[in-house]
Amino acid sequence: MRLKKKNVFPGGVHPTDGQDKALTMNKPVRVYLPDQGKISDEPAFGSAVYEKQLVSVDEFSREDIIRGMEEGGLVGMGGAGFPTHIKYKTDLPIEAVLVNGAECEPFLTCDYRLMLECPAGILNGVRLMKKAARAEKAYICIEDNKPEAVKSLNAVLESCREEGIEVKVLPTKYPQGGERQLIQAVLGREVPAGSFPAAVGAMVSNIGTAKATADMVLGKKPLNSRVVTVTGCVKEPGNFLVPVGTTAKELIELCGGVTEKHHRIIGGGPMTGPCITYDWDGREELFCIGKNTSGILVLPDYQTEESPCMRCGGCEQVCPAGLIPYQIDFAYQEEDFDLCESLHASECIACGCCSYTCPAKRELSLRTRLARDTVKQRMRERAEKKA
Amino acid sequence: MSERRIINGPHLRTERTTRWVMLQVTISLIPALLGAIYFFGIRAFYVTGFSVAVCVLTEYLWQKLTKKQVTAGDFSAVVTGILLAFNMPVTAPLWVVSAAGVFSILFVKQMFGGIGSNFVNPALMGRLLVMVAWPGAVMQYVAPRTLAADAVSSATVLGTVKNGGEAAYDYLQMFIGEMPGALGETSTLLLLVGFAYMCYMGVVNWEASVTYIVTVLALTFVFGPEGLFTGDILVNLFGGGLVLGGCYMLTDYVFVSRKGKLLYAVTAGIITAAIRIYSNYPEGICFGILTANCMAGLVSMLYKKHVYGMKKQA
Repeated sequence: MRLKKKNVFPGGVHPTDGQDKALTMNKPVRVYLPDQGKISDEPAFGSAVYEKQLVSVDEFSREDIIRGMEEGGLVGMGGAGFPTHIKYKTDLPIEAVLVNGAECEPFLTCDYRLMLECPAGILNGVRLMKKAARAEKAYICIEDNKPEAVKSLNAVLESCREEGIEVKVLPTKYPQGGERQLIQAVLGREVPAGSFPAAVGAMVSNIGTAKATADMVLGKKPLNSRVVTVTGCVKEPGNFLVPVGTTAKELIELCGGVTEKHHRIIGGGPMTGPCITYDWDGREELFCIGKNTSGILVLPDYQTEESPCMRCGGCEQVCPAGLIPYQIDFAYQEEDFDLCESLHASECIACGCCSYTCPAKRELSLRTRLARDTVKQRMRERAEKKA
Repeated sequence: MSERRIINGPHLRTERTTRWVMLQVTISLIPALLGAIYFFGIRAFYVTGFSVAVCVLTEYLWQKLTKKQVTAGDFSAVVTGILLAFNMPVTAPLWVVSAAGVFSILFVKQMFGGIGSNFVNPALMGRLLVMVAWPGAVMQYVAPRTLAADAVSSATVLGTVKNGGEAAYDYLQMFIGEMPGALGETSTLLLLVGFAYMCYMGVVNWEASVTYIVTVLALTFVFGPEGLFTGDILVNLFGGGLVLGGCYMLTDYVFVSRKGKLLYAVTAGIITAAIRIYSNYPEGICFGILTANCMAGLVSMLYKKHVYGMKKQA
């Protein structure tokens, strides 16, 4: 389905004024050594050739690269954690690889730092991905609040005249980095309901995944560490390169501990990340970093009370999927799943814009997501019965 | 350890609350209230205050008695109370005001489920009740005290023109509000100041208001009293309650999406204009908006939103 190319997606919100990113924006990535429990003096990137300059990727066939992705244990590092090699194995023709450097969630800067500090490594990875997808084009998509990252990548691109790779600057708006929204903004297409992006000739991968592809294929280094932003109410926020499996407790202690008495700790971004715990007493082991955990965020705690919906329609204005969350919410609470289905609850992308914007503080996002899961389950059951 | 709360994302929430939104509407009504006090005397303030008190108290008692979540402090009843008073002449007896207040809040708002669930605008229903039940008490308007020392009964400008008379006030007087009318509807200027404030704070759908007002003005101009294209646009705009209705009553939140609301505003405009042109009532705003309120469900059925990834229906 082709739409008019406008470089925007409908809806969306601006959850913060952008100051939150400044906490860690200028903090270089430091390497954490868990066995010694301290920070290494070595710089995080630049030890290998492919991290410093563009190298030849001609010797790797498409199959080599996809096998590398599989052997290296690569998954999408932006959030969903979908296995990369399965994504790239598709037989569908891919027109463009979209490399997602939007980092639209407030507070997180791990992708930004990566783009700043290791542009060559990312671009090597992008070239490999483009080859693996057999795509003509690759777009590196960055929000316009990160001009330094755009400059950094363009500088490397200009030096080599690589064909078909382009940096796209997009307006800053949450959820710009949502897979489907990114495709809509860059290619002007909608992914049909129930399909993968490959159906419209697009492949979306995170900046971190691009770097990991280069690490595995060019450096024979499997994906067992990643950059994590630790930020919010901690003494010294920062970006760290840590092994997968590092606990949140270690990282918070590394940052000097929590500064707010009543706080909540979130694994990921503030909009979609789950709350790990609140008012943490420092004792119990918290959750650990996974391949798709982009941050550990400590925010001041607050309590909200739901009040009746006043039909202001704010939720449907911000919904990037075009849903009417308050109606789905009512239908879900009355357990009318037929109605949920006819309201297309299955198309919820769980971005959280509706809950963010609701003046009545209703948990719209939570219940719309639950409605989505129920509706999808029912759809699967129906399909099984038919088969 | 005590029971753990379950915390759901997103962990950032807008600072806007229902209370904040309704407070903005209340603030935006203050200029018109001050104008009313200036033009009609301090009784305008007493009537408004009394109306607000009745509305808030009714809401509070009902929610207490039915053991519902008490939301009487969210300023929505305050807004209803002010709008209700704005629709009455300054001479309205307080018992009429209280009857209208109780009716609006109890029967129109709370019995349908409270804020957001009322299918019509409570203040307009309150006005309709008193219009039908005690027309003598509320259809008598007085000239502003800035013009006449004693309270002299007179019809509104719209009413006078409707009955074939000449408007006794020039356009500037009508615009600033120096004319007989319900206490909050006369000053177009001050209402627009308040409306501009609401637009600035982003709590109102101005497209709907503008669509509504333009529809009414266009139709009353085209189908004027002396044949086609003879309507007096400015009298229609300033002479009655069009601005109050369009800016504050129509925009009350109802079940319609943003784009559907335009269709809904046009519907309200057509009905209002039809009543102004063809019926005995000079105003028509009350009926126009209430009818459109009732048709909101129909309008939302006509207007389907595009859902991402769904094929557009042919």
